[in-house]
Amino acid sequence: MSLPRTEETAQALRRSVARQFGRSLHIRTLDTGSCAACEQEIRLLAAPHYDLHRLGFFFTPAPRHADLLMATGPMIRAFDIAARKTYEAMPGPKLVVATGACALGGVYQPDAFTHGSVGDTLPVDVWIPGCPPSPLALLQGLLVAVDRLAEKVRDLTFIQEGGPR
Amino acid sequence: MPLWFLRGLRRGVVTTRYPGQPDASAAQLPTPPAFRPAALTRDLADRLAAICPSWALTRNGDVLFFDAGACTACGRCREAAPGAVTASGEFELAATDPAHLVKRIPLLGEGGS
Amino acid sequence: MTAVGPDLACGRPGLPRLLSQLGYDARAGAGPVVTVSVAAADLEAAVRRLAAHEGARLADFFASGGNPAIDGDPVVLRLVWGLDCDRRYLVTESAIEGERYPALSDIAPAAFAEECEIFEQFGIRPAGGKPLNRVVLPPHAGPDFPRLGRPPAQEPAEVHAQHVVGGHAFEFPFGPVRQVGVESLYYGLVTSGEEVVDLYLFTWHKHRGVEWRLRGRTPREALFHVERTEGLGAVGAAWAFAAAAEAALEAAPPAPAMRARAIALELERLYNHAAATAALCQSTGLTVGQAAAEIALERLLRLNAAAFGHRYLFGVVDIGGARRGPDTAALRRGLPGAYGELRHAADALLATNSFVDRLEATGILTREAARRLGLVGPVARAAGVATDVRADHPAEPYSSRPPAVATGQSGDVLARFRVMLAEAAESVRLIGELLEAGAGPGGADLPESVTGRSDRSGLGWAESSRGEALAWVALDGSGRITRARLRPASVRNWRGFDDACRSQNVFTDIPIIEASFWLTVAGTSR
Repeated sequence: MSLPRTEETAQALRRSVARQFGRSLHIRTLDTGSCAACEQEIRLLAAPHYDLHRLGFFFTPAPRHADLLMATGPMIRAFDIAARKTYEAMPGPKLVVATGACALGGVYQPDAFTHGSVGDTLPVDVWIPGCPPSPLALLQGLLVAVDRLAEKVRDLTFIQEGGPR
Repeated sequence: MPLWFLRGLRRGVVTTRYPGQPDASAAQLPTPPAFRPAALTRDLADRLAAICPSWALTRNGDVLFFDAGACTACGRCREAAPGAVTASGEFELAATDPAHLVKRIPLLGEGGS
Repeated sequence: MTAVGPDLACGRPGLPRLLSQLGYDARAGAGPVVTVSVAAADLEAAVRRLAAHEGARLADFFASGGNPAIDGDPVVLRLVWGLDCDRRYLVTESAIEGERYPALSDIAPAAFAEECEIFEQFGIRPAGGKPLNRVVLPPHAGPDFPRLGRPPAQEPAEVHAQHVVGGHAFEFPFGPVRQVGVESLYYGLVTSGEEVVDLYLFTWHKHRGVEWRLRGRTPREALFHVERTEGLGAVGAAWAFAAAAEAALEAAPPAPAMRARAIALELERLYNHAAATAALCQSTGLTVGQAAAEIALERLLRLNAAAFGHRYLFGVVDIGGARRGPDTAALRRGLPGAYGELRHAADALLATNSFVDRLEATGILTREAARRLGLVGPVARAAGVATDVRADHPAEPYSSRPPAVATGQSGDVLARFRVMLAEAAESVRLIGELLEAGAGPGGADLPESVTGRSDRSGLGWAESSRGEALAWVALDGSGRITRARLRPASVRNWRGFDDACRSQNVFTDIPIIEASFWLTVAGTSR
C-alpha cells in the first residue's frame, strides 16, 4: 500500500527529476527497523568496488542537504514520527526510495508493531526489491530514480516457457 | 603512508563498470523465481503459496500472483518444485510503481496435484 | 596479547558439588544442559550461591507462561548459567505466583536489563521497588499492545526510572536517526563539555516483536524470521535456534552438515571482523584504511555468495542440518585472496601510529566490568574474560578441532581490534580443516509429530562474531512453538557500551568505541 500518485504527476515528476538530479544527488538513509543487512549493502556503495561518487551520488547526514531518502525496514510504528520529521526536514524537490523486501511489504505483515511497508508513512517514488538488495541492485535503483536508467522490471514476466522438467 | 599508496597501485582499480558494462559478480547473487505455467496446477500453486515465508505468492482462481517486491529470493519455492520454478537471474528490479512488481502467472498445468 | 588454549584448569567446584550445595540431586546426567526446578521461595538463595560461584556466568534470564487467556497461569522464570569450566549450561526454572519475585539484579547485576524486559512483557517485577528502565516496548504501548504475557498492573511511568542530570553536566539526545548508513539508535549523552559523563541507550525504536511472532510456527518456518532478526549475525542466530529446536526434537544433524554450518559461521565471523575494521578506520578518519578494509569486506561477501549462494549467508542453516553446502572449489580459490586483503590492511593499520594512538587507552572496559555485566565475545575476551562457546561448550565440529581463544588484557579499543584480527586468522585455519574433513548439505530426520510429550524444550548456542548467541525454544504436541527466546550477543554487550564510553572519553571517541564493539541495534531490539 502507498500514498496515491496519478500517472500525470508521476510523469511530470520524472522529467523534473532528470533535470534536477541527473548530475548530482545527495542521499540520506533512514532505518525504520531493518535487520542491519540492508545498511551494510548501502554502506558499500561508497566502497571502492562500487564507488557511487563516480556517478555523481553522495551521502549526506543532513536531511536539509538531501535530495533523496533511502528508507530500509518495515516502518515500525514507534518510528513513524522520526520518519516523518526526517522526510519533512528535506527541502523539495525530493525523492523517496524504499529499499529491501521489508520496506516493500515482504517479511513483515502489518500488525501492531510495524506497518509492514515504508509506503504507509512516506510517499515512495522507487521500490528496490532484495533481501538485502546487493550494491549493484541499489545502484540500478538509484539510477532509475534519477531517470538515468530505464526501469526494467515492468516488462519482466517471471515466466519461463516450456513444460515441466 | 607510502605503504598504502604502493599497495593501492599494485592492486589496481577494483571499481565496477556498472552500468556501463555488466558486472560478473551479479551471476552469483540469489534472484527471484521464474515460473513455468505449464507445470503449475492449483494444488501446486497453493503449496507454493503456503511455503513462501514472505507472502509473495497468492493464488486467485487460475492465476498465481507473484509479488517480486515482497520476494526475498530465499529459494524455498524453487526447492519445493524444481520442475515448475527456476531462478530468474534478474537482479535489476527497481520499480517506479509497486504494481509493476506484481506478476500474474497463469496456472496451465493439468490434473489436481 | 595472549592466545589461550582451550583446556583451562579452572580449579573451581564443578556442577555436581554446586547442585548439591543448592540442595538438588547431583546426578547431573551426561548432557551439556542441566535443567533444575527451583521453588520461588528458594530462588534468591540459589542465585546468591550461583552469582558467588567463580565458574558460573549468568548467560540469560527470561520468562514464559503468564498466558492472559488462562486464569492464574504462572509466569516461569528461567535463568541460564554458563558453567564454562564444567562445559555445561545450568537452567533454573521457577514458577512465580503473583506479581513479585526477588530482586535478582541486586545480587547479579547482569540481570538488570532482563528484569526490565520481563516487567514490560509479563507484568511481574522484582521486589524492592527499584526503578526500571524502558528497554523493549515503545512508550505508546498500552495494556492492549501485544505482549508475551500479561501487561503490568502498575502504570509504567511510576516504575520507569527518570534520568537525573545534576551539577554542571547537561544532557542531550542523539538519534534515533543518526549518521548515514547506520542503524537507528537513540542515546542520551550527558556531558559537562567534551567528556562523556554518562551515556544511556534507548533500544525500543526497533522492537519488531519477533519472539511474539514466532509463536504457533514450526521451527522451520520460524528460521526465516530468526535469520532476519539480526541479518549481520544470521548464521549465529540460526544455529543457536536450530540447535535449540534439535534439542527439543532430539534430532542429531549429520556431521558433514554441521561442518557446513561451521564454515558458514566462520565466514560470518570473518566478514564481520572486516566490517568492524572498516568502521574503525571510518571513525578515526583514516579513509585509505577504510577503503582497504572495504575491499576485503566486499571480497569476503562475494566469497559467501560463491560458496553458499547468499552474501550474508541466509538460508544455510536448517533445522536438523544445513540446507546448502559450500562450493568447496570456489571457497578454496577465493579465501586466501580475500583474507589476504584483510591481513594486509590490518598489518598496515597496526604500523600506522596515528591510527593506533586513537585506539590505545580508548573505551576501556575492565575485566571486572565485563564479568559483572556478563559480557561475551571479543568485547569480553579483550578485557581478559576468556569465554568462547566453541571451546567452553563444544559441539561438533568444534569439539574435535577446538579453536585457540584469543584474549587481551587492556580492554581498550586496540585490544578488541587485535582480538578480532587473531580470530580472523583462526577462522581461516578452521575453514581449511573443515573443508578437508568434508562439508555438505543434509539433515536429520525430524519427528513428524512430538505426541506423547506435551512439553519439549531445548537450549541452543553458537559463538557468533559478536559472542555467544543463545536460543531456547518450547514446542507443543504438534511441534509448534509456544515460546521462543532469542538472545543474540548484542543483547548482552550493549550494556558494556555505556561503561566503555564513560571511562574518560570524549565525544569523538564514541564512534570509535561503537566500531570496536561492532554490535547491532537489530540484535538487541528484536
